[in-house]
Amino acid sequence: MLGSGQFFQKDTFGPETVNRGAVLMECEWHGGVFESGIMMGGIFRGGKFRDGSFWGGVFWEGEWIGGVWECGFDRNGRYHPRTDHPPFA
Amino acid sequence: MITGPHRYADLARIWHRMVHTDLVPAFRSLGWKVRVVIYRDANQDRFAQSDFPQTSFQDPGPGARDFVEFYDAALQTDCDFIFFLDADVFILDGTWAASFTRHFNNPNVAALSYLRRGKLPGVFALLCRAEDFRALPDRAMMASYENLQKWPDSVNRGPGERAALMLEKAGKRIMDFNSEAPQRISDFHGTTVIRVSRETFAGAIGEEAFETLVANKRYFAMGAYDNVLLGWLYRAVFESTFAPGADGGELGGSLTAEALRRVLARIERAELRAALLEYFARSDRSAERLARYLGVRAPLPALIPDCWRAANAR
Repeated sequence: MLGSGQFFQKDTFGPETVNRGAVLMECEWHGGVFESGIMMGGIFRGGKFRDGSFWGGVFWEGEWIGGVWECGFDRNGRYHPRTDHPPFA
Repeated sequence: MITGPHRYADLARIWHRMVHTDLVPAFRSLGWKVRVVIYRDANQDRFAQSDFPQTSFQDPGPGARDFVEFYDAALQTDCDFIFFLDADVFILDGTWAASFTRHFNNPNVAALSYLRRGKLPGVFALLCRAEDFRALPDRAMMASYENLQKWPDSVNRGPGERAALMLEKAGKRIMDFNSEAPQRISDFHGTTVIRVSRETFAGAIGEEAFETLVANKRYFAMGAYDNVLLGWLYRAVFESTFAPGADGGELGGSLTAEALRRVLARIERAELRAALLEYFARSDRSAERLARYLGVRAPLPALIPDCWRAANAR
């Protein structure tokens, strides 16, 4: 469980992880649940994005349920601007 | 059209001052009709029209939802040439910039690049012949990733870089004057990134963690340093606070000079110090050139901690 006030850089998180407020910079997310917090850069390889902010990373796979899509890329490397989260997400 | 995306009105005021003082008159002297458009990517309410005379604003909307999408949208504007100029790039010699437009007599020249930060010309200071760029596939200016299956060894292309490759493939040229840039252009790096980071998550992780991040991430340290220099210029020219924090304090929206000195003093890795020292010297020269242009006579802020100088002296 990751919580508010925590900051991680270049870390990897497995499917058991739940984020409730931490800031992740240039991290890899593998299957957990993103409930709140910020993902800056990095790659979202799977899991549920329920809420929080996604900034500039790659959304490789996963379920986009809600949150703020500020910007980022899909698995084809295509850029998605503000509000335009990838359709498969 | 001279245009660029901006997020912060204070930085945009310096940009606006430079564009209208030198660049606009230089292009008008060629007989060109010139207009200036600022794309307000955020904080639109901070941009007072009275601070930006002879300039129109464009805000995010369909087709230009953010600054990355803005470049492609701008190409559809009814004009022959579009000059993309980054928010922290200041051309000091408009006559120099305008003199190269003679190359457009060659129909194979699609653009003039005055400043390059990587191998490919991006959109930092790029004068485009609009019809050549409009002939490219949709979204040609957009940022992208290539070889994502090789993550993290993928290739991240910034805005304009794919367009440069496509133009080359189509037999078109982008003339590069980057080698002359140090004498003619003042440019600063990372000044917006650190401010965006400050407003987005610094409050969530706390001041100490934010300062640690700046100490460990070269690009953030560069942005913090450059913002102090820009703040010094901004105060001298506009007599106002640059990059204010939530409490209105000078540079609280980036990193104050005092905090930056503290952060730099924490850096012990010799190779990082060396890289930053080289960059800071370049920034100092950029700021001094811009200061001379703007008539600022105050001495540059001293930011390098004594312990760095002592280590160098040994």
